[in-house]
Amino acid sequence: MAIDFEKLVFDLVMPLVIHPEDLLVKKFSEDEQSITIQILVNKEDLGRVIGKGGRIANAIRTISYAAASRIGKRIKIDIDSFE
Amino acid sequence: MKRIQFETKALNDQALTYAASELRVNKEFIEINVLEEKKSLLGLNKSYVVEAVVDFDIINDGIEYLKSMLKNMDIEAVIEAKRIDDRHLLFSIESKENPILIGKNGKTLDAIQTALKNYINLYIEDYHVILLDIGGYREQRKKQLEILATKTAMDVIKSKTPSKLTRMNSYERRIIHTKLSDWRDVSTKSEGDEPNRYVVITPRLK
Repeated sequence: MAIDFEKLVFDLVMPLVIHPEDLLVKKFSEDEQSITIQILVNKEDLGRVIGKGGRIANAIRTISYAAASRIGKRIKIDIDSFE
Repeated sequence: MKRIQFETKALNDQALTYAASELRVNKEFIEINVLEEKKSLLGLNKSYVVEAVVDFDIINDGIEYLKSMLKNMDIEAVIEAKRIDDRHLLFSIESKENPILIGKNGKTLDAIQTALKNYINLYIEDYHVILLDIGGYREQRKKQLEILATKTAMDVIKSKTPSKLTRMNSYERRIIHTKLSDWRDVSTKSEGDEPNRYVVITPRLK
């Protein structure tokens, strides 16, 4: 079973941004236990992706975490913006 | 439905980008309709009066959002949605992987609900409350919490000492408050800070 985590995260974030052309979701590393995903968005969109008190960011993390748990891995998601 | 009217010189991507930044949504959901064509006297400068509309249907697009999310997670599911009243909608998911989608104490379920609610409310004008249930979890949890509320309240009345419940989210605390709202002998209050907020049941002194 293969889950494309980049696509999962991309599809979750994509509808939230005003500048879809600046959205970049990249898998940084993957080993036996963990996966690291980096989200880069336009500066204007950062607030929307993180949400009030990090609510949206945490929701994205929790959903990805559940998906990753199916293959016994932990997932870490970093969100940042272009300057 | 969110919409704006503006004038543009050309019906191109620039007009769409402008509409997207004004409406503050992703341009893939924007539809532009020409209302009027304007020409200057010599017919050299053309411009259009257009209306940009956010093309979004809460039920269909909401289901699509969940569908694509679950497909990306490699989970097969049946998704339904229904409108409860003019402000409330209930989405429900039924799948073989319900426990994974619910998570510990409904944590994943809450996360999916948050993501869905946020997504939908970005695209519509009037705020809607979006509820999500997976495999009847919410209903079952509600019953459990009501039993817990009743039992604890009876203990509190008997012992005349306040009792703290474990940490709960706002939705769960509300169930407790509502359940005990018509009890004359106890009062309920939420204390502590999120995410460790909890309900305290105190005896009402006569």
